Amino acid sequence: MTTQPRFPHAATALLLAVLAAASCTRRGGCTGEYCGTLVIAGTSDVTTLLPPVSDAAIDRDVFDQILLRLADLAPGGSTIGDAGFVPQLANRWEWTDPLTLVFHLDPRARWHDGPSVTAADVAFTFAAYTDTAVNSPDRNTLGHIASVSALDSLTAVFHFRDRYPEMFYDAVFHMRILPAHVLGSVPPATWQTAEFGRAPVGDGPFRFVRWTPGQTLELAADSTFFLGRPHLRRLIWRFASDLNTAITQVAAGEADAVEVLITPTNIKRAQDAGHLTLYPYSGSTYTFLRFNLRANGDSAHPHTIFADPDVRRALVLATDRPRMLQSVFAGHAKIPPGPMPQLWAWLWVPQLTVPPFDTAQASRLLSGRGWRDTNGDGVRDRNGKKLSFHLSVPSTSAVRQQYAQLLQEQLKAVGVEVLIDQMETATQQERLHSGAFDTALESWNTDPSPTSSVPGNWGRGGGSNFGHYASATFDRQIAVATSATSPDSVTAAWIAAFGTLAQDAPGIMLFSVDMIAAVDSRVAGVRIRPDSWWALLWTWRIPPDKLNERDRVGG
Amino acid sequence: MLPWLLRRVAAGIAIVFAVVTLTFAAVHLAPGEPFQPADGRPVNRAATERLRHVFGTDRPLPEQYVRYLAALARGELGESFSKRRPVAAMIGNALPNTVLLAATALLIDFALGIAIGVFQAARVRRRSDVALTNITLFFYSLPTFWLGLVLLLVFGQWLHWFPVGGITDPVVYDSLSFAGKLLDRLRHLALPALTLGLVGAGGTARFQRAALLEALGQDYVRTARAKGVAESRVLVRHALRDALLPVISLLGLALPFLLTGAVLVETVFSWPGLGKLAADAISARDYPVVLGTTLLVCAAVVVGSLLADLVTAAADPRIRLSA
Repeated sequence: MTTQPRFPHAATALLLAVLAAASCTRRGGCTGEYCGTLVIAGTSDVTTLLPPVSDAAIDRDVFDQILLRLADLAPGGSTIGDAGFVPQLANRWEWTDPLTLVFHLDPRARWHDGPSVTAADVAFTFAAYTDTAVNSPDRNTLGHIASVSALDSLTAVFHFRDRYPEMFYDAVFHMRILPAHVLGSVPPATWQTAEFGRAPVGDGPFRFVRWTPGQTLELAADSTFFLGRPHLRRLIWRFASDLNTAITQVAAGEADAVEVLITPTNIKRAQDAGHLTLYPYSGSTYTFLRFNLRANGDSAHPHTIFADPDVRRALVLATDRPRMLQSVFAGHAKIPPGPMPQLWAWLWVPQLTVPPFDTAQASRLLSGRGWRDTNGDGVRDRNGKKLSFHLSVPSTSAVRQQYAQLLQEQLKAVGVEVLIDQMETATQQERLHSGAFDTALESWNTDPSPTSSVPGNWGRGGGSNFGHYASATFDRQIAVATSATSPDSVTAAWIAAFGTLAQDAPGIMLFSVDMIAAVDSRVAGVRIRPDSWWALLWTWRIPPDKLNERDRVGG
Repeated sequence: MLPWLLRRVAAGIAIVFAVVTLTFAAVHLAPGEPFQPADGRPVNRAATERLRHVFGTDRPLPEQYVRYLAALARGELGESFSKRRPVAAMIGNALPNTVLLAATALLIDFALGIAIGVFQAARVRRRSDVALTNITLFFYSLPTFWLGLVLLLVFGQWLHWFPVGGITDPVVYDSLSFAGKLLDRLRHLALPALTLGLVGAGGTARFQRAALLEALGQDYVRTARAKGVAESRVLVRHALRDALLPVISLLGLALPFLLTGAVLVETVFSWPGLGKLAADAISARDYPVVLGTTLLVCAAVVVGSLLADLVTAAADPRIRLSA
């Protein structure tokens, strides 16, 4: 006689009970215009939510929702003068003299914990951003502003030290106005780790709800937002390990938006998902190969290969950039004629051109400088030294690795040996800082203005001028570009500076990616600002007839 | 037994200390700087210097080491460079997730591994045994991250049977009933736990099969058979009890495998555990978090191996813990 085992039946019954109970969710009943929930797939976790101590892009994305500026850059707006800006906390402003800018705050603006936003908050914010103890990365950029004071509760006055084209931009763009009543009692030296950075009080269209480190960050719409109620009710960031995982989440319908796709493979994945709409916008990054003009690891001496501008020019000519662009991006990128992203559209002018691919001219230049293949091994040499160098590339970037291989192949055709060194990003940064490299493939993420990155990256003494490029002409042109008062003269000075750079060839400008965001097709009114992808989220909406069960949850 | 235990505890503390010291040296000597912008933004040298001062990385390495040990003695793991929050709190958030994942994976590993091993031993050299040998070898040879990616693609993105990442559904979780929350967590746990568990089960099955076959050749098994005991009873009651002992010791060895495997699996599935925390911290050169997670994992492995020895000794009267 056999007995039936009881356990499997009990287990099955329990499982069915759990499944039945699980189906009895507390469904929300939110209906109408203000019910949407948008889940954004982020590629890294937030660092801190206290703006003066952060310059990470993901932090900025959240700041855009919870903490306002006095005025913000309009989509496509110029950073020169104030015409390209739209009101935020300040509903108007005026110049009382060439060095004094007065902002009038919108009396309707409120902090999420109740008090009004006042001019004292503005003065407090400037003091915080320029306090050495707070150590804001933006402190130097605010150096032109002598003081900020509160004339009355709704009037803030900025005094500048000198006149220059981006006075207004500096006054409004780098600072998010902070609540003095919350942060005033926090010692500046402790701001790096302050509690506010984990649970901020804001004044923007969305208020902070919670942040579970490494997992999610949630914001809720402020239905009383003075510039208009946001249509989306909840914003949730899901932090993925990398871009691939983020795209998988969006393709699987577990997230609604991802800000970039980058490669043709990712674009196809998003297209194949069927429920996503793709939104192209101008990118804020550019990628280039940097030559180290000083000896590898010894900045006191010139580099035996790259100190010679003719050799650098030859390498630029020997690089078939259109073909590389097609191979890697299938056309979803552009070759910048200078160190500039697509975001600076006003600098993509016909006067700046990309040098043609010309191996014959490259060979002539190299031979003219004494680099010839004397031993028939396929690599040019001079005085017994091979024309061979190392190229450092971060192992985390598949695109740059592809470019490294293509560069290796193309330069081999003109008798140049390229040795690829793959390394972690942190290791590459270390090498760049110590000057222990020959060449490096770098990507730069820029601000809306060239002022903050170009001088530092290519000017003499610039903090990120790792290749030690030095040109008095270039520096002079940059000085004009950052101090001229008319927009036309500013543009002309930048064009001249980039022309000098193209002539001196301290690097090979390779690509600026066409940014493409993927957003669930039920979302309407999608507008993406190139310099700050999610800055206009509060104007996005999910029409009532497109709401799904997840949008209605918790309403 | 007490002297043995004290010696093992002392040795364990020495191992943890050595690992922490080596890790401290390794992370500080590795190229890279904790406070460089990672997303290609201009470097602000003054701000970087100030951060070095605030977090103490501008001091000589021996001084940093002594300060770290002193803080450790006070029970402090320091502040994260990249996330600006206490390391202990970050580990406190991540640890339960890793424990949940590792425990579930361990359950899958041993339940499946032992079952397959027993099944194979009972059908040794038959076609099913050969097939399962190849299958278990296949899974045992798979890199965990690759298996994870395949499961994620097939069951997550293509079939939509399971979520593709995270620990809960951030949109609906709060609105679910208790049972709904439980099911949501199980759905999110399934793929990462299966990834770790299947690879482990491949090894456990092979180990269990070999141990059981050895036990089946013993005299007491032959005696049992000669007395007419049913084959299934011989297998389960007599041979398996003996053959489980080496598998118990395997438990202690499984812990390091699970914790190191978790680094990759947690990254693939965006599972917010210790492994992902450590991997992110290594990329960001977040020394306090790297050291904190290493310390914890090392201590867990030492304690796990000690417990495995104790359990084995308790289960096997032939083992004395006095040597």
